[in-house]
Amino acid sequence: MQKRRLTRILAKMDKRDVEVLAADIQKIYTPLIVKEPGKTLAMVKMRDPVKQTLFYIGEVIVCEAAVEIDGVQGVAVLMGDDTEKTLDMAIIDAAINRCVFAGMDKLLNYEKEQNDALMRENAMHLKTMVCFESMDQEMPHDLAAFKKA
Amino acid sequence: MTYVAVSGGKEAIEASIKLLDFYKGGTEKDVEIEAIENKLSLLVDRVMGEAGLYSKTYAALAIKQCEGSMEEAVFLLRAYRSTLTRNYYTNVVNTSEMRIVRRISAAFKDIIGGQILGASYDYTHRLINFDLDKEKAAELRREVLDMLGAQEPEEISLCPRVSDELRKEGLIEQYAQDDKPPHDVTMSMLEFPADRSARLQTLARADTGFISGLAYSALRGFGQEHPTVGELRCGYVELCVPYPLDEQEEIYIGEVLLTEVECFNKADDKEQLKLAVGYGAVFGRNETKAISMAVIDRELDHGGPYPTQNEEFVLMHGDSLEMNGFISHLKLPHYVTFQSKLDAVRKTRA
Repeated sequence: MQKRRLTRILAKMDKRDVEVLAADIQKIYTPLIVKEPGKTLAMVKMRDPVKQTLFYIGEVIVCEAAVEIDGVQGVAVLMGDDTEKTLDMAIIDAAINRCVFAGMDKLLNYEKEQNDALMRENAMHLKTMVCFESMDQEMPHDLAAFKKA
Repeated sequence: MTYVAVSGGKEAIEASIKLLDFYKGGTEKDVEIEAIENKLSLLVDRVMGEAGLYSKTYAALAIKQCEGSMEEAVFLLRAYRSTLTRNYYTNVVNTSEMRIVRRISAAFKDIIGGQILGASYDYTHRLINFDLDKEKAAELRREVLDMLGAQEPEEISLCPRVSDELRKEGLIEQYAQDDKPPHDVTMSMLEFPADRSARLQTLARADTGFISGLAYSALRGFGQEHPTVGELRCGYVELCVPYPLDEQEEIYIGEVLLTEVECFNKADDKEQLKLAVGYGAVFGRNETKAISMAVIDRELDHGGPYPTQNEEFVLMHGDSLEMNGFISHLKLPHYVTFQSKLDAVRKTRA
């Protein structure tokens, strides 16, 4: 699984669920903390769609941590100030890099739940989609008509 | 003007600070941070935007600490931010991949992906709801969770930009992708003429009231013609940074809510063949600010005799911290300078 997908699942999980996954790893392995979890900033880089230039819109607070399991490193960077969850995510990352993580099926289940919740939220937003009915004679102000004109 | 340092008043200052607690202690009821985050979320968004720091919890804390003063809350967040290192830069955020929660166009009624009103006060009656005084937060929470659970899941699809279609038709100027590293106004002073990246960053952090007033002045006649909101979109974008152990991969660090606007103006090319576009993007749900930013962006591109078309005027006077700080300094002791002014008046009268 790609790191982006993996970290999205972990980041959206409740911290107690992440803690359970990390605790399972720690029953067998003793992770060595390489970088204590701590706060830092990440600058958000955007692309302006009008002139295609890059710009910074602002920063976010993130927590970062790094650990090692049997000499194999794992890292985590997570928005917010939850140092415990960040450390647990780094432990899981190290276990995955060390190929000893046994909770991939659980992660896929969490992902399914997360996507389902997002799609339910999306359904609420889609209910606010407008269906226009012109009360006057149609004017060429829809995009297709504009292009033809 | 010269300044002379004075000392004294230490005990009075301490008592003044203590008195702030007295003002906040007028009730036994507390305002919880989680409640501020969720029930005053538009205020939280505004503070985060003007501070240039996206952190809902810390913005809520700052609002609570300073009795809801915007300028103090922005000051607190900026001050805190200055104590942290910056170890990461996100990969470029692509707002075309935004998970939309609101999207409207004043230019076209039929747009690909549809017009989604989302949550908006635009269509509400502006009448005070006196029943809100009796609202039970726990019940409301249960109700919205039930409402969410009852939904039939709908696939999330990406919405193309309205401007993309016009660009394909050659009705809007096409620019090549420019990967020049952006100017960072938090690291280096603004220089004029300002780089476009410095302009956009400064406007994104600007005081909402300041840039809304400026945009209003442009619409009233101190600027170009009335622009049209081609698209206003509000939604969540994913933030990713390169994976520190393998830069070929990226990791998700979270998502932020943004409001983004593209305004269309009349053509400014000599042949009058293409529409001009202004751009605005801000943290959170802050539509007035995003629209104002787009209006001002276009005014600055156009140039002219009005304040909104003067880059130095616009970019140097809208930072919440700087403008409020400078105005605030007027209430600090100016005994010596005022005495000299008084002397001058007395001498003239004598």
